[in-house]
Amino acid sequence: MNVSETKDRAGPRAFGPGDDVPREYREAATRMIQFHANSEIMGAYLERPFIRQAPSLDRKLAFSAKVQDEIGHGQLLYRAAEELGIKTREEMLTELAEGEGKFLNCFHYPMDSWYETPMIGFFVDGAAMRRQATLKNTSWEPYAHAMDKICFEEGFHIKHGESILRELATGSTAQREKLQEAFDEWWPRILQFFGPTDDQSTHHDFAAEVGLKQVSNDELRTAFLNAYLPKAERYGLEIPDEPRITYDEDADRYEVRESDLDWDEFWQVAKNDYQGSHEQIGTRADAREAVEWVRAAIEGDGPGSSPTEAAGAAD
Amino acid sequence: MIWEVFRQEESGDYHTHCGNVHAPDRDMALAFAQIQHARRMPANSLWVVPKDEIGEVDADEAAFGGTTDKAYRWAQTFNTDEDFAEEIAESQREQEAAERKREDRA
Repeated sequence: MNVSETKDRAGPRAFGPGDDVPREYREAATRMIQFHANSEIMGAYLERPFIRQAPSLDRKLAFSAKVQDEIGHGQLLYRAAEELGIKTREEMLTELAEGEGKFLNCFHYPMDSWYETPMIGFFVDGAAMRRQATLKNTSWEPYAHAMDKICFEEGFHIKHGESILRELATGSTAQREKLQEAFDEWWPRILQFFGPTDDQSTHHDFAAEVGLKQVSNDELRTAFLNAYLPKAERYGLEIPDEPRITYDEDADRYEVRESDLDWDEFWQVAKNDYQGSHEQIGTRADAREAVEWVRAAIEGDGPGSSPTEAAGAAD
Repeated sequence: MIWEVFRQEESGDYHTHCGNVHAPDRDMALAFAQIQHARRMPANSLWVVPKDEIGEVDADEAAFGGTTDKAYRWAQTFNTDEDFAEEIAESQREQEAAERKREDRA
């Protein structure tokens, strides 16, 4: 298949490993799915400290289950990307550890306090879920199949996030103030989750034409605001004056004033060049190195693996 | 040699197990699978896999999902509203259906 045939045949779940899709498609799909997989892993690392810092046993259990799920989602997605034949899972994980792998803007910022957890667990995950639901119709079948399982599991994550948000929002004045502070800090980053407006998005056109992406950044941002902005208000959060958001009654949609957002920072983050980027990537690289011996033992060529186990693993 | 057969009805669907065939090699297995499993039932693709290559663990050997109460893993445990976003509602409906099936078998 050449590129124009691929565009003609593009549809939900249209192409799989058995199809002869062109290199341009494979590269675009790899870029998109690798980004998604990296984001699952980096999100999990951001939340991992809160397994320890959770204020109750219930929260601790839920946080640990959630972090485990996210790592699993990363693995599913690396598999879906690997089947495109451009990069192996190992290569993608190495790129991530070496700071070459790209991932979601929100996961470049440190998360220090419990009051920040619903910013990720409700708003960022909610934004991701809006996007992921549309990707059930992506044209790369293994990606769509990974989405089926991810979306099945993700409902728990967002409801858990909202449960924390509600608890803090209905707590003491001091708790509500800290929650508002966290919201003020995270809100612009959350609005940037969907990236720049479509006319500035570099990869959108091709990905949309070959059916990888089903819905544009603008539409997704609007869909997110329609559902999540009223939620924030319901929990008594004050929406910051800037970035300015206007509601267009005729079109029934919210518009974000793009120029109010810090795009220099966004692009710095996108290049893994923000201060937080170095910290988060470093954490991941250290963890990867620390458990190298586990992988070696499983692969059968490290200390602790007996010859019989090694033979079994190599089969 | 026995080959297990998996049929995908339409492009994008999952391949699901539909039976097996006797065949001396993969090509013959694919030919027999077409005759036995795709003549009447609609098919977009078939997979054949040597039976010996399939690993199995069943409910007699394993307690799938564990025996500890893990209510904290389910969306329906959290009593916030799921209907404000259709994808959250859908996720919860799927989890409720899975939980009901597990309870029916317990």
